[in-house]
Amino acid sequence: MNCQECRDYIDPYFDSELGTADAIRVRQHLRDCPECRERLQSREALRGLLGDPQLKYEIPGTLREKLASRFRPPATSLRKRFERKYTARWLFIPMALAAGITLLFGLVFLNKNGRFEHLNAPSLVDEVVADHVRSMLATHLLDVPSTDQHTVKPWFDGKLKFAPPVQDFADHGFRLIGGRLDYLNGQEVAAVVYQKNKHIINLFLWPAESNGNGSPRSFSRNGYNIIHWNHDGFDWWAVSDVSAADLAAFAGLQRQ
Amino acid sequence: MNDEHIRERFETLILPLMNDAYNLARWLMRNSQDAEDMVQESYFRAFKFFGSFREGTNARAWLLRIVRNTCYTALAGEERKGREVPLEEEANEIQDASPLPPVILTRKATIEAVRAAIAELDTDFREAIVLRELEGLSYKEISEVTEVPIGTVMSRLSRGRDQLALLLSARKKSDQL
Repeated sequence: MNCQECRDYIDPYFDSELGTADAIRVRQHLRDCPECRERLQSREALRGLLGDPQLKYEIPGTLREKLASRFRPPATSLRKRFERKYTARWLFIPMALAAGITLLFGLVFLNKNGRFEHLNAPSLVDEVVADHVRSMLATHLLDVPSTDQHTVKPWFDGKLKFAPPVQDFADHGFRLIGGRLDYLNGQEVAAVVYQKNKHIINLFLWPAESNGNGSPRSFSRNGYNIIHWNHDGFDWWAVSDVSAADLAAFAGLQRQ
Repeated sequence: MNDEHIRERFETLILPLMNDAYNLARWLMRNSQDAEDMVQESYFRAFKFFGSFREGTNARAWLLRIVRNTCYTALAGEERKGREVPLEEEANEIQDASPLPPVILTRKATIEAVRAAIAELDTDFREAIVLRELEGLSYKEISEVTEVPIGTVMSRLSRGRDQLALLLSARKKSDQL
């Protein structure tokens, strides 16, 4: 495949709309051609910007209501549907109530045991990844670029209600490159930024709600690795495209 | 299909797509008042044609095609009348609760800059990009909505992305991004 062909194929390749054979040919060409690789990277950067869900226009609530009431079947027909389905209503209602109460107790019990944490976690994981991706694109990665922990830490102190611990691990290959204010989980958080070779690691932290000392939990999303733990009174989230093993090592250093 | 059954199916298949319909109309009409009118008009049309909606048809592509046609009919009429379509100030459209931390302000600024760049695209490119990137449609679905062959979708997306990348890098240079 030559560059002209690759140019024609790069968008369907990028959109996963190419047949396997062509996709392989494109991949081979990309491996050998830095220029076409750059083109693909610019597509990826563009998608990063276009991926913000807020870009989509939201239908005004008044119009939503108007259409819903105009096109939703009238209430009488809803009741008819209900009656068709559950002719023995006198039996159905107490049964549904009983089932509902059992379910509620079950949920409360499971939640108490932290069973639902993994269900709640993904949305925050996605938010963490989205923040990481955004920080790498157009906007800004660093508010305070500095490799000196004694510069980065005091910088945060004036801006946040808490004092995040900041350490440099350059001797272990994780170089501190600066910090940034960010917004996650509905609050202002500290983003401490590290670099490992060419890879950026964003470390988000904020005061933990509970003072647990849970072991780290790992996630992965779209090629990014994420690790979360709770330690020293903070909630810690590290996200990067470094390998899961590297990120675990990084988390290990932070937890020491 | 009796009337009640049609209504039920319309409610499950078409009504939940209001937001997608509005988003497309908003991008094509480039202001919110016209977009609202177009969505209403499209829903009335969709309901009228819904009797001919066949099982297995892609509901989103089906509805968005109606939205698109409704918008273009209106735009063509306006062109004949020579009316200028007013462009809206984008700033009012992103609702927020103040005060915001700096990073949110930055994000808002980015969204506005990207929206402005998309709005500048030629119509063919703009609708292809919006359908692909904001609505997540496949090439086949885009080809159904815009009534052009898949090859055309492909080249519109490619040229649209080139154009958008240029517009965005120009904004980046002038520090709007």
